[in-house]
Amino acid sequence: MKNSSWLIKTLVQFTGLVLFFALWQVLSGFYNHVIIPSPMEVVRSIIGQASSGELCEHGRQSIVRGLTGFGFALSIGTPLGLLIGLNPVAASLFRPVVVVFQVTPLISWLLLAMIWIGFSRVPVFIVFVTTLPLIVINVFQGVHSIDRQLLQMASVFKINKDRIIREIYLPQVAPYLMAGIANALGTTWKAVAMSEFLSVQTGIGASMAVARINLETADLFAWTITLIVLGMLTDRLLAYLTRRKLSHWM
Amino acid sequence: MGGLIEFEQVNKTLGQTRILDNFSFSIEENKIFCIIGPSGCGKTTILQMLAGLEQPDRGLLKGLTGKRVSYVFQEPRLLPWKTVAGNLDFILRDELPPAKKDKLIDHYLKIMGLDGYRNSYPKALSGGMKQRLAICRAFAYPHDILLLDEPFKSLDTPMRLGLVRHVIKLWQTAPRTIVFVTHDIIEALLLGHRIMVLAARPTEILEIIDLDMPHDQRHMGEELLGSLYTKLLDLLDKENKKYFPEL
Repeated sequence: MKNSSWLIKTLVQFTGLVLFFALWQVLSGFYNHVIIPSPMEVVRSIIGQASSGELCEHGRQSIVRGLTGFGFALSIGTPLGLLIGLNPVAASLFRPVVVVFQVTPLISWLLLAMIWIGFSRVPVFIVFVTTLPLIVINVFQGVHSIDRQLLQMASVFKINKDRIIREIYLPQVAPYLMAGIANALGTTWKAVAMSEFLSVQTGIGASMAVARINLETADLFAWTITLIVLGMLTDRLLAYLTRRKLSHWM
Repeated sequence: MGGLIEFEQVNKTLGQTRILDNFSFSIEENKIFCIIGPSGCGKTTILQMLAGLEQPDRGLLKGLTGKRVSYVFQEPRLLPWKTVAGNLDFILRDELPPAKKDKLIDHYLKIMGLDGYRNSYPKALSGGMKQRLAICRAFAYPHDILLLDEPFKSLDTPMRLGLVRHVIKLWQTAPRTIVFVTHDIIEALLLGHRIMVLAARPTEILEIIDLDMPHDQRHMGEELLGSLYTKLLDLLDKENKKYFPEL
């Protein structure tokens, strides 16, 4: 029973994809390939980018920039979220700042970053400022979701503060942090491409700028597909890790 | 023996509700003290004060200094990310050397029929098993005072009677102060050296019953227990007017 329903689900998903490509193929017949390239042209473009080493080189640049910015956001955002959640003074101090970070338009960050730190480091900075609030807010919500009754239990049994943080708060925050990371990584690849497009000469975003100028629409599609695959891969990986590490008790 | 834990003119308001108003009573140390009464009569608040989780607004609590408290809450309050054994380890790790701790965990899991589940997570346990694990935890934790807040509420009758016997056995192996809050008259009669019957809103003591009969002789067929049962039932029956004034 379980096997056959899985099969049906896969078949339906596959049919959806086939329909999508068929529609794309048909549409590309009506328009010039500069407007809508055919699926085959895009595949050829991807193969071309892969064999020339462009895919690898620009992809690597973007991934390194993305993960660097994200890494900074994660390593600063996690303790900051915990601090804001646990300490009312820190909450009053930092929460408005986090909200300001969250609502500041991307274009302002981009232009300011170009002035402050020079073009080459703009993508890392942009990823950092866009993902930091996502991490902080998720961790903070995790801390707030804490079960007061469990804290009361720990206080009756004289568990010290340090162990309460490690053995009650951190496990409670873990699924929230995972959700924050998934959200942040989704944003990372978009932010990195956008800021590369506007600020530097290498990376997926910059390659897209070149493709646009040369009217290589198939290349534009190819890079977009690379970004989509990157996003889907990180999303799947995180879902897998969450299942492995947290599902036994959640 | 013979020490007292005393509530003297204790006042307590939670939110808008005045729970205790100049409330006084005393608990004899190393005896089993049962509190019985309708919901909302302040039973849980009394336990929380004994555990130091709540402080009186006014009045005094005497005889608690240096006493270690263990607690069975109304809810199991288990850590979902720790296994059955891990939940016991959590509260014992700082108290006992590892070898002794592991022996104690084995011992109590066996007593409560949970030894086949030591590596399971609470998610996989039934409601009754979770509550038994919470009881394990409270028994295993070193204490002078054991507080139980309607601990057997969610369990079936054979399980309740079995657990009542376990509390008696625990007390017989090493007498300690036990404060047992319940709705159940039978549980109170089987366990208590003293039974305090409370009325709700305002909280007041309706009756205090001393029961010297040894635990081994307490069977519900016993004439004294039978007459006490009727007496307590009548007392609590009068309280129903507060719920249903028109009756």
